[in-house]
Amino acid sequence: MSVAISIENVVKRFGKETVINGLSLEIKPGEFFTLLGPSGCGKTTLLRMIIGFNSIEGGQIKIDGKVINNIPTNKRNMGMVFQNYAIFPHMSVKDNIAFGLKNRKVPKAEIEKRVDEILKIVKIDHLKDRMPHKMSGGQQQRIALARAIVIHPEVLLMDEPLSNLDAKLRTEMRNAIKQIQQQVGITTVYVTHDQEEALAVSDRIAVMNGGVIQQIDTPKNIYQRPANTFVSTFIGLSNIMDGKLESNENGKALIRIGDYKFQMNNIKKDCGSNCPVKVSVRPEEFIINKETEEGIPVTVKSSVFLGVTTHYFVETKEGQEIEVIQSSDIGEIIPNGKKVHLKVQVQKINVFSEDGSRSFIDREVRP
Amino acid sequence: MNTAKKKLNIWLVLALAILALFLIFVVYPIGLILYKSILMEDGTISFSYFTKFFSKKFYWSTLVNSFKVTIASTLVSAVLGLIMAYLLRSIKIKGSKYLNILIVISYLSPPFIGAYAWVQLLGRNGVITRILNSVFNAKLGGIYGFAGIVLVFSLQSFPLVYMYVSGALKNLDNSLNEAAESLGCSTVQRVWKVIVPLITPTLLASSLLVFMRVFSDFGTPMLIGEGYKTFPVLLYSQFMGEVSTDAHYAAALCVIVIVITLVLFFLQKYIGNRLTYSMSALKPMEPQKVTGIRNVLAHGFVYLVVLAAILPQLTVITTSFLETRGASYTGQFTLQNYKNIIMPKNISTITNTYLFGLAAIILVVILGVLISYLTVRKRSFLTSILDTLTMFPYIIPGSVLGISFLYAFNKKPLLLSGTAIIVIISLCIRRMPYTIRSSTAIIGQISPSVEEAAISLGSTEVKTFVKITVPMMMAGVLSGAIMSWITLISELSSSIILYTSKTQTLTVAIYTEVIRSNFGNAAAYSTVLTITSVLSLLLFFKVSGSEDISV
Ligand SMILES: Nc1ncnc2c1ncn2[C@@H]1O[C@H](COP(=O)(O)OP(=O)(O)OP(=O)(O)O)[C@@H](O)[C@H]1O
Ligand SMILES: [Mg+2]
Repeated sequence: MSVAISIENVVKRFGKETVINGLSLEIKPGEFFTLLGPSGCGKTTLLRMIIGFNSIEGGQIKIDGKVINNIPTNKRNMGMVFQNYAIFPHMSVKDNIAFGLKNRKVPKAEIEKRVDEILKIVKIDHLKDRMPHKMSGGQQQRIALARAIVIHPEVLLMDEPLSNLDAKLRTEMRNAIKQIQQQVGITTVYVTHDQEEALAVSDRIAVMNGGVIQQIDTPKNIYQRPANTFVSTFIGLSNIMDGKLESNENGKALIRIGDYKFQMNNIKKDCGSNCPVKVSVRPEEFIINKETEEGIPVTVKSSVFLGVTTHYFVETKEGQEIEVIQSSDIGEIIPNGKKVHLKVQVQKINVFSEDGSRSFIDREVRP
Repeated sequence: MNTAKKKLNIWLVLALAILALFLIFVVYPIGLILYKSILMEDGTISFSYFTKFFSKKFYWSTLVNSFKVTIASTLVSAVLGLIMAYLLRSIKIKGSKYLNILIVISYLSPPFIGAYAWVQLLGRNGVITRILNSVFNAKLGGIYGFAGIVLVFSLQSFPLVYMYVSGALKNLDNSLNEAAESLGCSTVQRVWKVIVPLITPTLLASSLLVFMRVFSDFGTPMLIGEGYKTFPVLLYSQFMGEVSTDAHYAAALCVIVIVITLVLFFLQKYIGNRLTYSMSALKPMEPQKVTGIRNVLAHGFVYLVVLAAILPQLTVITTSFLETRGASYTGQFTLQNYKNIIMPKNISTITNTYLFGLAAIILVVILGVLISYLTVRKRSFLTSILDTLTMFPYIIPGSVLGISFLYAFNKKPLLLSGTAIIVIISLCIRRMPYTIRSSTAIIGQISPSVEEAAISLGSTEVKTFVKITVPMMMAGVLSGAIMSWITLISELSSSIILYTSKTQTLTVAIYTEVIRSNFGNAAAYSTVLTITSVLSLLLFFKVSGSEDISV
């Protein structure tokens, strides 16, 4: 019963300014799909196009193959959870949740039943007759969620629903949301700029920047195999270093960073050889080599001990600052000013074209 | 798109209908005044009425007089209001809550009642004058003319400054004060260097409101001015006078007032936009306990000012129970005055006031909510015209509106003069800008996503407006409506021009009874008005749940 959403070449203009210019994506039935991107990249805009608050200046949006561009919002049968909850302050919890059902002329007894049901699912059944202003942020969030789900919408849309909550409640609520979504199985589009939240709840994530989709993938792939340097630096932390692809034959590629050379077996065949590349290494993908001269020579500038891990801030000869994370071992923390060498875990790192727009990693090959 | 278009049309139709109403009841009458002011009796167009005004000292001196009393009263009001607000916010004054209410009440009664009460106290035969004359064996002639007008206006208008400044002081974070103190500022320096600059915008804005109000008031100078003729008095006598009435000349005078208030309006807007700091106090100023002579002085000053402000009300209430013979009092207590005013032939005065006020409030609230919704949520070229147009009445003094209504609606098909409708509409229009402004502020505080949520839940736009937007606005609108009601029942300047014996209201009755020297009846009417205002004010406090008044 879940529906698929296809967004085909949609264009959004505000006056003369084009915010989204020909964006396409497919969302599968029942999927928890997240739009992730920096502030102002057009996430809210796209979401509001799906529900119909924003007009569509070009392209089309289809639900199960049916174009919905011209269907007014109140006929679209989509539920939305707003960042500020948008609870009706003059109605009790029950009336808030029943509002959509009344609009659909659902019989009274049925309304009662469905409201009670959903209140149990979002775990605020004891607050049924309370007025919203006497409730906490998390509880109001649950009303908003219940109110959107109770109408059995085809699509559930959420725009940064957790950003007004404190950190602990945020984690709790995101688990609740994920669980409820799975329970009712609605196709869900979720907007956030909190990457950890996105990684935690999503089936798939679309990373956006400047109105353009950078990558659509599972959380694991987004993190481990980013499609370009924007994604690799936006999601988590990546050190981007200039390198060179010296040769690439028989599935064995030779990469060089300064005087440090290493071999990789998962570089795409068509990347040429003897060309400059960007090597993207996450802090935890370095190996600090204190014994030999192998690796990128760096000087330790400072360090922070965080219990499970220790963070080192080091500098290369060229003056580039690099962050390195090591699991804390029982030995001494490397003192500031000490010269060490950095090696990389070749199976984990990513290599991009020189302009950072294209990944050279062949995902078909197991490194 | 079809259904979406249909919905849009409902708002479009509403906007057009409201626009039509404003064209008929605001633009047309005012346009007519403009036209009449330059139309000679022989049908030619010329500015000779304006030349006439500015070439004769008898005429233009009234304008000078008006500016003199207005500037003087505004200055006194500003100083009094500022000092009172600061004292009550910074020093613990016994009974300050009640003083606050008394100040508001003194503001809510029409200024001319103050004039007439002060004549009873300090006039030629005033109680206080007589006491002073017999004790000191003097021959004081009483307070009339310039001094009298300024006294009445100042005491009547400082509460406005007081309310605004007091509100601003409440939003002033005390840490600013403490910071200044820790930097070595003395108390006086602190007030002068920190507090005054921060509340200057509020002070200026409220002073300008006082200025506009005082400038166009005609009841006060009429009653206490004697030979001192101000511009509104000239206007009224040119229009209503028994000797020489000249409709076109009166129209020219109206145009002059409109121009002056227009300038003031833009000045106020400019100042309001330029100088407001947005502050919100985490830690508002707490009134401090002071001791010794400072405490005595502070209490003495505050109580004296409040007493002076409320004295007219007390006088009126007292005299309403005094027996009168002609214009003098016999010294006996009686209920005769009240019996007079509730006689069957007179009772309509009271019922009219309530009916007209209520009708106007209902109209003004419905229109105000609709207009502010249209201009905030349905921005378009049309609604922005509406936005500007609805602010128009703000700059048109009541007497001018009254006169323009009589000109515009005295023949068919719009024969309204003499009817209750014309009074109600004029009340409605006079209050419209205030209601729209407050409703706009209320809508501004409602997040659009609440309405969007309703729509996403399948509600239509109209249903969302009725079920979500309006109920959410209700509390704010209701308390605004009560304040409007209080100001409407004390309206005089347009009602005095539009009334007939059938549509007489309380203020008109008070005024005419005073003119006829029926002080007993006037006092009884005033008391009814005061009691109504006080009860409404208490209702306001209950509904709004706050003690802050915005007028
Ligand atoms: N109503 C509007 N009129 C004009 N420009 C708009 C409007 N709404 C959004 N924009 C512009 O569109 C761009 C995308 O805005 P959008 O709200 O979609 O960003 P977002 O990705 O949701 O950001 P955030 O994470 O801050 O919520 C921004 O540059 C914004 O200025
Ligand atoms: Mg957004």
